[in-house]
Amino acid sequence: MSDDSAMLAGNRPAPVSNRTPVLSLEHITKRFPGVLADDDVSVDVHAGEVVALLGENGAGKSTLMNVAYGLLEADGGRILIDGRPAGIKGPRQAIALGIGMVHQHFMLVETLTVTENIVLGREPARFGTVDMATARADARALSERYGLTVDPDARVQDLSVGMQQRVEILKALYRKARVLILDEPTSVLTPQEVNELFEIVRQLVDSGLAVVIITHKLDEVMAFSDRIIVMRAGRLVGETRPADTDETGLAKMMVGRDVVLRVDKTPSVPGEIVLSVRDLHVLDDRRLEAVRGISLDVHEGEIVGIAGVDGNGQSQIVEAIVGLRRPASGTVWLRDREITHANPADTIAAGVSHIPADRQRRGLVLEFDLIENIALGDHRKLPYANHGVLDRDAMREVARTRISEFDIRTPSETVRAANLSGGNQQKLVVARELGRDPELLIAAQPTRGLDVGAIEFVHRQILGERERRKGILLVSMELEEVLSLSDRILVLYGGRIVAEFEGGSVTEEQLGYYMTGGGGSELAATPGPTPPDQTRGDHA
Amino acid sequence: MPDHTHFDAPKPGRAGSPVESSTDAEKRFTLEKQRTDRVIRLATPFVSVAIAVLVGSLLVVASGRDPVAAFAALFQGAFGSQRAIGETLLRSTPLMFTGLALAWGFRAGLFNIGAEGQLFLGGLAAAYVGIQVGSLPWAIAVPVILLAAALSGAAWAFIPALMKARIGANEVITTMMFSYIGRYLVSYLVSGPLSDKSGIPQTAQLPPNSMLPRFNTILPFLHPTRAHLGFVIAIVMAVMVWAALKYTTLGFEARAVGYNPFASEAGGISVGSTIIKSLCISGALAGLAGAVEVMGVYGRLFDSFSNGFGFTGIAVALLAKNNPIGVIAAALLFGALSAGAGTMQLEADVSQQLVAVIQAIIIFLVAAETIVSWAVERTRKRKAVAPVAG
Amino acid sequence: MLAEILTPDLFAAAIRLATPIALAAMGASICERSGIVNIAMEGLMLAGAFGGVIAALLTGSIWVGLFAAILASCLLAALHAFASINLRADQVVSGTAINILAVGLTGFLVEMIFGHPGNIGLSDSALAQQVMKHPVPMVPALGPVFDFPTGGSGALGTIWTWIDTIFLSYTPIAYVGIFAAVFLTWAMFRTRWGLRLRALGEHPRAADTVGIDVMRGRWIAVLISGAMAGLAGANLSLEQVGGFSDSMTNGRGFIALAANIFGRWIPGGGYLASLLFGFADALQLKLQIFSNVIRIPPQFFLMLPYVLTVIVLAGVVGKAVAPAALGKPYKAKG
Repeated sequence: MSDDSAMLAGNRPAPVSNRTPVLSLEHITKRFPGVLADDDVSVDVHAGEVVALLGENGAGKSTLMNVAYGLLEADGGRILIDGRPAGIKGPRQAIALGIGMVHQHFMLVETLTVTENIVLGREPARFGTVDMATARADARALSERYGLTVDPDARVQDLSVGMQQRVEILKALYRKARVLILDEPTSVLTPQEVNELFEIVRQLVDSGLAVVIITHKLDEVMAFSDRIIVMRAGRLVGETRPADTDETGLAKMMVGRDVVLRVDKTPSVPGEIVLSVRDLHVLDDRRLEAVRGISLDVHEGEIVGIAGVDGNGQSQIVEAIVGLRRPASGTVWLRDREITHANPADTIAAGVSHIPADRQRRGLVLEFDLIENIALGDHRKLPYANHGVLDRDAMREVARTRISEFDIRTPSETVRAANLSGGNQQKLVVARELGRDPELLIAAQPTRGLDVGAIEFVHRQILGERERRKGILLVSMELEEVLSLSDRILVLYGGRIVAEFEGGSVTEEQLGYYMTGGGGSELAATPGPTPPDQTRGDHA
Repeated sequence: MPDHTHFDAPKPGRAGSPVESSTDAEKRFTLEKQRTDRVIRLATPFVSVAIAVLVGSLLVVASGRDPVAAFAALFQGAFGSQRAIGETLLRSTPLMFTGLALAWGFRAGLFNIGAEGQLFLGGLAAAYVGIQVGSLPWAIAVPVILLAAALSGAAWAFIPALMKARIGANEVITTMMFSYIGRYLVSYLVSGPLSDKSGIPQTAQLPPNSMLPRFNTILPFLHPTRAHLGFVIAIVMAVMVWAALKYTTLGFEARAVGYNPFASEAGGISVGSTIIKSLCISGALAGLAGAVEVMGVYGRLFDSFSNGFGFTGIAVALLAKNNPIGVIAAALLFGALSAGAGTMQLEADVSQQLVAVIQAIIIFLVAAETIVSWAVERTRKRKAVAPVAG
Repeated sequence: MLAEILTPDLFAAAIRLATPIALAAMGASICERSGIVNIAMEGLMLAGAFGGVIAALLTGSIWVGLFAAILASCLLAALHAFASINLRADQVVSGTAINILAVGLTGFLVEMIFGHPGNIGLSDSALAQQVMKHPVPMVPALGPVFDFPTGGSGALGTIWTWIDTIFLSYTPIAYVGIFAAVFLTWAMFRTRWGLRLRALGEHPRAADTVGIDVMRGRWIAVLISGAMAGLAGANLSLEQVGGFSDSMTNGRGFIALAANIFGRWIPGGGYLASLLFGFADALQLKLQIFSNVIRIPPQFFLMLPYVLTVIVLAGVVGKAVAPAALGKPYKAKG
């Protein structure tokens, strides 16, 4: 972490514990069908402090805060505001009582302007018409007061993710929030934007707000919080202060056992080139150039990681390679076969497997059972089909084999994919894609939303493919994942590769520098394609 | 665009929950969910029909008639005699085809609301080709006519299919528009170029070799009936459609696209061509409905030869939950309602339109499946407390 | 011949014939902006047309008829709202059910009340006599709002004829339509209600999290579309036809949906798009008069509005962006 952040986390006065907490959650219990999300959890939040709510995916942090914000109704327990029981039936009451929440998936209406989003639900109005002049002035005043600069007349869909987050915070402030809940606020930000965010948070806390940050990132918790509350499997397992613990201790508390944060792997011995991309240009849905001349190679037995902030062309690169999106220009070769304009059926046949970033949208047909999901993509070929007729016995056989090979926990192979847990759904995708024995594996965000056990499993599978001398292209927003798995790391910024590193030769901070356009200025000025040898000269 | 359908918490069985920590509990939960799904799927059609009949009775009472007499007459008209049963089979025949048409569409995520138009075009092809091939032997003529009708129905669905696949034009509007266009086209043709010159807007009578024989022609010991061989063809077709959906890559791809076009695309399925194929298959099945009416019932084509079979097909498919075998049962139900409606009108003085009302209520209830799932969930909750591991 | 076709009458007829489509298109734009697909416009219009005629016959008052038209179609709209909003049913299927229900129910009621299927005219007071046991004066259809003497000779007279025909010849609901186009467009983009409405259809959860009642907002939008469909039906039965006949809406509800898309979910846009259809309809009616000259069978003219709808959809669909949450059921709490 940078010096700035360390300074910010400096010796702050501890909140006085005998003051009345501004928000108290007492014995909150919340059930979902088959899941006890929160089990008798009590949390106090005081004005003027940053509370970090730390835990793995599914630990119950977001559920707890959604209860506080009125989005979910608790099955047991009560909520107190300023020591008085608050009957929070919905966000409306929560807002009125001074609770604001910035969700992980932003709650912004993209087609509306910044001002419209800020005032929505509490519009200054005259005889039913929205008084836009007042609204705009209010929005501007708020953003100046807290240093949250953003154009009040811009449409939200045209803003960067970091800017959209500011709009979300302004929305809460406009509603006079005294408690601000931020759900995984840094997952979409660059390291620099993260620092800016925490400066803003500091300012808010100094002006008397309480801030709750839901997160699973240990370094951020250590750097920015006053108090850390750790949750695991729906229960509160500990409370501490950054000064009294370290990352290893927190990790153990969070997961419940010792965690090896590093992945063991043998040194890479790259073989022949499997994937070769040259000067690839790809347009996005809005017909803007999202990938601006990328060249890269993936060799046998090599994991090439692409690091970058979401929205810098990652999904377009992946879609172009697997045939889901037509490149504007450039070439893609798989060994000695050109697949530039191949469709997904062709790329699958050529030996490309693809673990898509969004398993529920791109990866699985949730209404299909496991058998059909495993056949998907190979369903026209033997042994699954012969001349257009499916061999369901063969399909079932393969499915059974995959289920045991990849340890998919299911009562039977005829269960619908929708009825599996998230981790098992991802295993299902991995089982299908690796079961095909591909030449090249493209893994996009392969561990998003998974718990530690499932993450380890997926990582082991990816490394296994590397052992089997496959080429692997890994795209991930999680720097830790890119750093621990990759033999070579490419940094993507603004649709270009702005830096290339050997695995193990680089730190998160260095990557972060390039991910935000640092050092890329002379490259960005270079017209046309950026061949890989040119980027290689750019080593830090 | 942030995906707002994605919500952090309520994914059951999500990682890290106490249940998940135990594999057995997780498996049990998955199984439980699967079972609940199945119960709801099976119960919905029956509950829907029951409620629809109940609401229908209330309407009859409100209009001052006797609902018991009305439904008794309806039953009599549908099943009371060999002739009545024949009428039920007769009327369920086109409904099986249109029901299958809609079911295939729904499976592929397409709502072919304009099946009625494709039915008209199928009837048109049957009436035209039927005369042309009348000199051929029956065993050749009939398959040729059916094929022509299927192609004609498919062709009428092709432009909406193309528009859907290429630019995403809503097929509900386009097929509906083509349905109106098709009916005016038929109206023109039967009063103009294809008219039998009798002054009545209709085509000439088909030669016997182009007709589907009645059951009592095939089996002389039966009482005279209007039910014809088309009924058997419909049943065979239902089984074929069932097999095609389950055992062919064509059906596999149609279902995949219907459930999730994005995953299908990533799985190497061409979504556009699957949409085109599926809507055309749907159109072909609807075209066959028109053909069996022309070849089995009237022997010719005229303006109003369809009794809204294309629209009733929607109810048939929905009630059958898009299962081709279920379509047979649902079509028989609606065929019976339609056959009995006349008797009901005569004996209980209740408008035949009551059948349409019942149909609509059934569609409505099947769509609002949550009513049934809510009831099922409630009874299950009472039986068992949700498993919460320690 | 062109001069005989392009008369002021033609343009007036275009606006007159566009009115029911436009009212329904504007209703659909409100409804769909809230995120609810309303494919039931056809059925809602039919229910409105029917309710209007029955009530007018029963009471002898055309104004009660108008009110009943709106009420009847709002009742069916409420059914759609309940299914799509509260029960989270498939909105297209629910709409289809309502379309079939409207045809069946109106047919059923016509037969049960009048003892025969088919047409009922506003001047047919059999119903009133039967129900009220005494004759009721004939109910006239709603006539034009303005009634100026036309004509005069010379250029001024011609200009006056054009102005009078094109601007001042309509029945009340036609003027309501023009007013609604302006008012609803303004309301959608300038009022608090409009801002919230647009938020509902784009991102209901965002609206929910800032305390906007999604269910209520969507209910209101669906009911407004019901009221607009009721007006459209009343325009057809009480102003244009002067009676009710089976399935008299004849696909106008579906054309309205296309007009709404063409108008990009903006009420004013929907109105203008409907004028295109109204013009096509007026033109085909006019051309039928000349059918002995042109020698094209009338069926081809009758096809024109439907063909036009397909062409319009083929041209604009790719470019028009629907509200992001359109057709997706919203679940408030977990």
